[in-house]
Amino acid sequence: MHEVSIAQSILDIAITECRKADYKRINSISLRIGKVSGIKIQSLLFAFDIIKIDTIAQGAALICEEVPVVGYCPECHDNFEVVSELILACPECGGARFSINGGRELDIVEIDVD
Amino acid sequence: MKVKVVRRILEANEKIAEENRKLFEEKEIIAINLMSGPGAGKTSLLVRTIEALKDKVSIGVIEGDITGTDDAERINALDVPVVQINTEGACHLDADMIREALDEIPLNDISLLFIENVGNLVCPAEFNVGENMKAMVLSISEGDDKPLKYPLMFQESGVLIINKTDLLPYTDVDMEKIKKNALSLNPGLRIFEISCRTGTGLPDWTNYLTTMLAI
Repeated sequence: MHEVSIAQSILDIAITECRKADYKRINSISLRIGKVSGIKIQSLLFAFDIIKIDTIAQGAALICEEVPVVGYCPECHDNFEVVSELILACPECGGARFSINGGRELDIVEIDVD
Repeated sequence: MKVKVVRRILEANEKIAEENRKLFEEKEIIAINLMSGPGAGKTSLLVRTIEALKDKVSIGVIEGDITGTDDAERINALDVPVVQINTEGACHLDADMIREALDEIPLNDISLLFIENVGNLVCPAEFNVGENMKAMVLSISEGDDKPLKYPLMFQESGVLIINKTDLLPYTDVDMEKIKKNALSLNPGLRIFEISCRTGTGLPDWTNYLTTMLAI
């Protein structure tokens, strides 16, 4: 719902890092986006393409790696991944005492610059 | 040329949230981020809670709304310090808005701060503001399918307050299903069933707060 402000944060961080490393242009920005981060990649790309105009990231592409939802079950000591956006029970033993350890990432991993 | 960055996109918010958290700790304030969809009864819950506790606890309130001051006026009538934030379109409160609002709250005089978030079951759950606890309100008329439709808020909250229980006889909503769905997402969730209109169940909630504040 707030992809524009997230896109703006990505742009700000990338431009700061690019200048810090003494480069002039951003070619791409690699991201890790959790499946339950609340961010729709399609909307993020749309927002980024608009706000990057007239910046040193004008030609930059966002490369998004989607991170699945990952849980840990203390009952069967299993780490598991789910395809859906929700974990309702441990897929191995059906236990309800799981913890969710992945799927909310919203990270910049790398930028490609010249 | 590749440059490793490895930074959280929301780190600017997290940094300010941490500053807010430290300020609450220093001032010995428990801050509760109160979230729900529009109309679930956050403000009514605050009014009832303040009425029940204001002789025992000094309470402050930050009201978040997209526009308007109705909620702050309802709280102000109870004679507790209140600040209204208007997000002007933004779908949630963030840490920086809270930091600014804290300038207007007499932090030395309060021990419990309620931050009433913008009515929205999605985005508020994604932004820490430095609170000690997230609490959410779900009203009976919203339906028993909501935990599974808006899982993040149920997972992030320490407390679920099910409000408007007086409406149960007039709906097809299954109270046990709400609780089962919510607990399947968050087994540690503490659940209170209340009606702000009739007052049923409110003492369980206010006793929980006074125990938490150790008074």
